[in-house]
Amino acid sequence: MCTPAQLQVITRPGTEETQTVAGALKRSVSRRDLLVGSLAFSVAPALSHFSAHADAIMAFTEIAPGIFVHQGRFELQSPLNRGDMSNTSFVVGTDAVAVIDTLCSAKLGSELRAAIRAVTDKPVRYVINSHMHPDHVFGNVAFKNDDNVEFIGHHKLARGLSARADTYLAANKMMLGDDAFAGTEIVLPTRGVDDKVTIDLGGRQLTLEAQSVAHTDNDLIVSDSATGTLFLGDLLFSGHIPTLDGSLRGWLSLIDKLEHYKPTRVVPGHGPHAMQLPEAVGDEKRYWSTVATDVRRMIKEGKTMSEATKTAGQSERDHWKLFDQYHVRNVTAAFAELEWE
Amino acid sequence: MTEQLRKRMARSAVIALAAGLGLAMTGGARADEDVWPSLQRDVFDSRPMTENEGIIQIDAPERAEDAAVVPITVRLSPSFKEPVKSMTLVIDKNPAPVAATFTFGPAAGTVGGERRMSTRVRVDSYSYVHAVVETADGKLHVAKKFVKASGGCSAPAPKDADAETAELGKTLVKSYAPAVDTTPLREGQIMIKHPNRSGMQIDMETRGYIPARFVKDIEVKSGDDLVFRAETGISIASNPNFRFTYANAGDKPLTVTAVDSDETKFSGQSAKEPVSQ
Repeated sequence: MCTPAQLQVITRPGTEETQTVAGALKRSVSRRDLLVGSLAFSVAPALSHFSAHADAIMAFTEIAPGIFVHQGRFELQSPLNRGDMSNTSFVVGTDAVAVIDTLCSAKLGSELRAAIRAVTDKPVRYVINSHMHPDHVFGNVAFKNDDNVEFIGHHKLARGLSARADTYLAANKMMLGDDAFAGTEIVLPTRGVDDKVTIDLGGRQLTLEAQSVAHTDNDLIVSDSATGTLFLGDLLFSGHIPTLDGSLRGWLSLIDKLEHYKPTRVVPGHGPHAMQLPEAVGDEKRYWSTVATDVRRMIKEGKTMSEATKTAGQSERDHWKLFDQYHVRNVTAAFAELEWE
Repeated sequence: MTEQLRKRMARSAVIALAAGLGLAMTGGARADEDVWPSLQRDVFDSRPMTENEGIIQIDAPERAEDAAVVPITVRLSPSFKEPVKSMTLVIDKNPAPVAATFTFGPAAGTVGGERRMSTRVRVDSYSYVHAVVETADGKLHVAKKFVKASGGCSAPAPKDADAETAELGKTLVKSYAPAVDTTPLREGQIMIKHPNRSGMQIDMETRGYIPARFVKDIEVKSGDDLVFRAETGISIASNPNFRFTYANAGDKPLTVTAVDSDETKFSGQSAKEPVSQ
């Protein structure tokens, strides 16, 4: 396993030159997206224009010993970003590796796998999906042929993803384009978490806890015994506007519960590599509380869903990336839920 | 094909699928194809219609953020004082284009303000939405609005699948107190917890279609008088929701009875106290 000192990420925002890695990995990588590891010292600069290479090495940061996180962009899936728009993590133990979320294509899943291989040769025994959304599960296929690998998710994930399979595949193929989407297929969990499951990676255990309906009806929270890190999946958005595909009331009560957790750090599904509670959930809590308050008031005043989509929660506009892409949909879902109260 | 079956097919893709016809009727329509002439023929027997008279207005988002829940409101101008016999809502490019046909009763109300009907529909691909209003004299009036949305019919409905099953049939009826007691029209709303399964949602494990199950008939009364009866189909969004104006005849209870395609009945009644606005 690499120590933090050995693993460095070259991050130089705005630079888009390409470097050629000399030695074993003869392929071009972008500086921005470069996971260096011990390769950092063998990189010889050879400038050319940046392009999104299919085999570029994905950038990971070791946020705590043995915990590597890649941060996705605050963008919608596109051929240009190839779907690199959500966070993915892997945890390295003395015996095995666990992956948490696999991004939204076979190709990105393979790059994730290559990034793991650049750090450790321990076998990937567990592929954990925090919930059913494509940007967290579509890379599972890259691990399908690993020996003895288990795919683990909330016990309702398989049902939810199965019901949406065709819609998800078609939508992501359309957004990513044929090239970036090539090889993608759905790999469902082989093991479902009803309540709580603990897996042993050697020297550390991961505890997987199924949640009640919040972001979706199949959210899973993962905690690492060695470092006290909590992986929240899409129960935590920061910077990127939260999206609702479950229950607003459920999510708000889960946020209240999270505020009592004492992890050393949390990893969001969309947001920075690592954050601290309770501040981490502050923006998200304010957003959903505002939406809930506005929508409830409008329902009480006899206003319609269309009226709510025009005004509810608009005070949140400047706080989030992708507000125009998701907010109206969130209000629609919130209204359809809260009007039954 | 009998006229009855043809009209029924326009409402329910299920029959089309079951009959092995696929989505031959209109579902295979190309994006640039104008399917309205064929719908006019099949659904309205090619009866003449007048358009753009400024009496019907359709409110719908130009671009729907959620194609499975697209709010639509049909408004009749207050200056239009004809009694209305029926109103048909058509999503042209949907596999089952006729979302609903409302037949109005004596308690629907006529003059004295804007008459409205709001519901939420599924939109399967970029499509015109048509509202066809039949007045008591038998004339047809039509208005249209283009909506950009796609995937609404095959989108899986429930966000919380277990709650959806547990609460199936829960019915809410609201009667909104009018701003002024003497207003001729007031507003009511009915909501039915029902997945309204389209028959086009696929179960990946069986690779089969999840069987259609949808609310097909709805009757709303104010006291003993009919407000409207609606024949509804799979283009209505899950948890069917209708908000409408009706004659203000004091605080009579508003009641709804509904039947789904499994012949399960649902009913509900408004609270004694109307909802204040």
